Amino acid sequence: MILPALIFVPFTGALLAFLPLKNAARCFLFLAVALVHAGLVASCWRQLPAAQFDGALVLDPLGLIMLSIDTFLFLSLAVYMIGYFEHEQRNNRNFMACLLFVLSAMSVVAMSYHMGLLWVSVETTTLLSAPLISFHRTPQSLEATWKYLLICSVGIALALLGTFFLAIAAHDVHTLLLPSLLNGAPLLLVNWLKLSVIFLFVGYGCKMGLAPTHSWKPEAYGQATGMVVVVMAGALTQCAFLALLRVSQICHKTGLTEFYGSILILSAVLSLIVPALFVLGEKNIKRAFAYSSIEHMGLLVLGLGLGGAGVFGALFHMINNALAKVIMFFTAGSIAQKYGSARVGDVRGVLHVYPVTGVFLIVGFLAGTGMFPFATFHSELMILNAAITSKHYVLAVVVVACLALVFVGIGRIILEAAQGEASAPVLEKKENIFMNTAIGLGAAGLFVLGVWLPVPLERVIRAAAALVGA
Amino acid sequence: MTAWIDASCILIVFFALAMLATHRLIGVIQLFAAQAFVLGFVPFFLHAHDLSGRDITLALGTLVLKAGLVPYILFWAIRRVSMRSEIKPIIGVGASLIFGALLIAGAFWVSLSLKLPGKPLSDLILPCSLATVLLGFMIMVTRTLAVAQVLGYLMMENGIFLFGLSLFDAMPVIMEMGILLDIFVAVFIMAIVVNHINEAFERSPGSNRGKMGESG
Repeated sequence: MILPALIFVPFTGALLAFLPLKNAARCFLFLAVALVHAGLVASCWRQLPAAQFDGALVLDPLGLIMLSIDTFLFLSLAVYMIGYFEHEQRNNRNFMACLLFVLSAMSVVAMSYHMGLLWVSVETTTLLSAPLISFHRTPQSLEATWKYLLICSVGIALALLGTFFLAIAAHDVHTLLLPSLLNGAPLLLVNWLKLSVIFLFVGYGCKMGLAPTHSWKPEAYGQATGMVVVVMAGALTQCAFLALLRVSQICHKTGLTEFYGSILILSAVLSLIVPALFVLGEKNIKRAFAYSSIEHMGLLVLGLGLGGAGVFGALFHMINNALAKVIMFFTAGSIAQKYGSARVGDVRGVLHVYPVTGVFLIVGFLAGTGMFPFATFHSELMILNAAITSKHYVLAVVVVACLALVFVGIGRIILEAAQGEASAPVLEKKENIFMNTAIGLGAAGLFVLGVWLPVPLERVIRAAAALVGA
Repeated sequence: MTAWIDASCILIVFFALAMLATHRLIGVIQLFAAQAFVLGFVPFFLHAHDLSGRDITLALGTLVLKAGLVPYILFWAIRRVSMRSEIKPIIGVGASLIFGALLIAGAFWVSLSLKLPGKPLSDLILPCSLATVLLGFMIMVTRTLAVAQVLGYLMMENGIFLFGLSLFDAMPVIMEMGILLDIFVAVFIMAIVVNHINEAFERSPGSNRGKMGESG
């Protein structure tokens, strides 16, 4: 009964959020839901629960990784938001309800073993996260919401077409259940399958924010509060990546690995080059971090496309990316609330006014750009290593060059914001313990994974990579 | 029953083309409702001899949600918003009709090389659904008004759904209802966002009102 509970606990929490409560009370409701959810996920680590609903809901190692990321993000979010809502007067009813609905839908994504259900749940996460972007209802944030909603809806509509094409390819299998598709791989019609793979990739890639359909990302991440961006960049986009991993499972069984791999690598290169070019002229900390997020999505797809050791790297990078996003966007959100802006110029000398937040800003920069001793360094190195061992030398050079450019671009504005003459913040000059605890959790996690990979985690990642055929 | 399916497919593309040529927003919403109404009957025609619960559920779901509630919400959105109801397309009606005709021809040409497995009930389902998807996409990119873009998106969904209706054994009915429900939620949220966009711009009179219903 654990699988339905993982869906219904946040769902019930979302319904409860509609009760007439104070903002602070909803924060504790959120914390309670996040704790129960985390407890349920922890019990899955002891033993994977049995399948539910005729095999439509199954938790496999891939899903377990995704689910653990989701639950960690929501737990740190629950701590962070207690601090955030001390200074926020706006009623958080819809905000909390949408967040909890999103958690519920993301739990379905993580364990859906039916390609149709996967589509329905990914679409639900997209729709319910859109109102979160315009929490402050400024004209710019509404424009960003519209852009996100429209681009992602069209993308996901293409994924639906891809799912239907898959259904045609599976004409002789009579179902879209993943195990049946994998077992009946020789029965699949290859031409329709290829068409389906292209549409599924474009659709879910749109949701991931891969170039050239990334344009919603800087807008949405620039306008949404840090909390929402952490959920979007750390969990939602990676849910779409999970969908790409499922496609990869099918391609592996049908001998389309190379076909799919070449699409993935091409898109990855674009997603590495675009942020490297655009981040250099950026003045807004959140928008700069958004470009870094596009780059990380590119790295994930690259690892998957290269196969072999790259898949392990990509799966490990999924976890590290989520942790890095916690540090980066929680810090950026905290600064945006303190200064009323996230633009360099309005924000200066953070280290002098808020020493802890300032240190976290620099830590976030180092973690996000993949510096030692943070785990992002290791996973990026694994992906790069996969590129070199598979003799993609030019590709490896391009990757390193792009990573270096993004490092320079982000480093320039972060150091400017952290150091220098202090500009006057809007709020009192006091550190917020809840916000800093949440950021500290992410930083500690990323540091620990950087120096030591626990054996159970490694085992699960290996099992997950084996599912994709690596 | 093939004749009825063919007629429905042609009507669906015809309504799509008419939406491309219509200026007034209300007219476009009415055309969309008509298109969804025809779409709602397709499951009946597909399995006229042995109607199952699945067909009836799908048909009723489509009729109630797509032909009923969705147009209602859109009417609500444009009434509350008191937005300019004239659509200003980026390209003129004549040009867009010619381009639309080319897209339809393209859809038929592409579907010649795609062979559906098994014995399809009608040869028109695939090309007509592709044509509707393409025309919907075209409306989305050539219209600047937010509600018109939503209608383009919905038309795309109609095209995809027409295609999905013919795949009855791979998609359990609960999934298809999930898809329908998702589309309904999408329209609901889009209508609310359109509403907020307008409120936000009405509060700040200094901003350029021309930009409000329009978005990039």
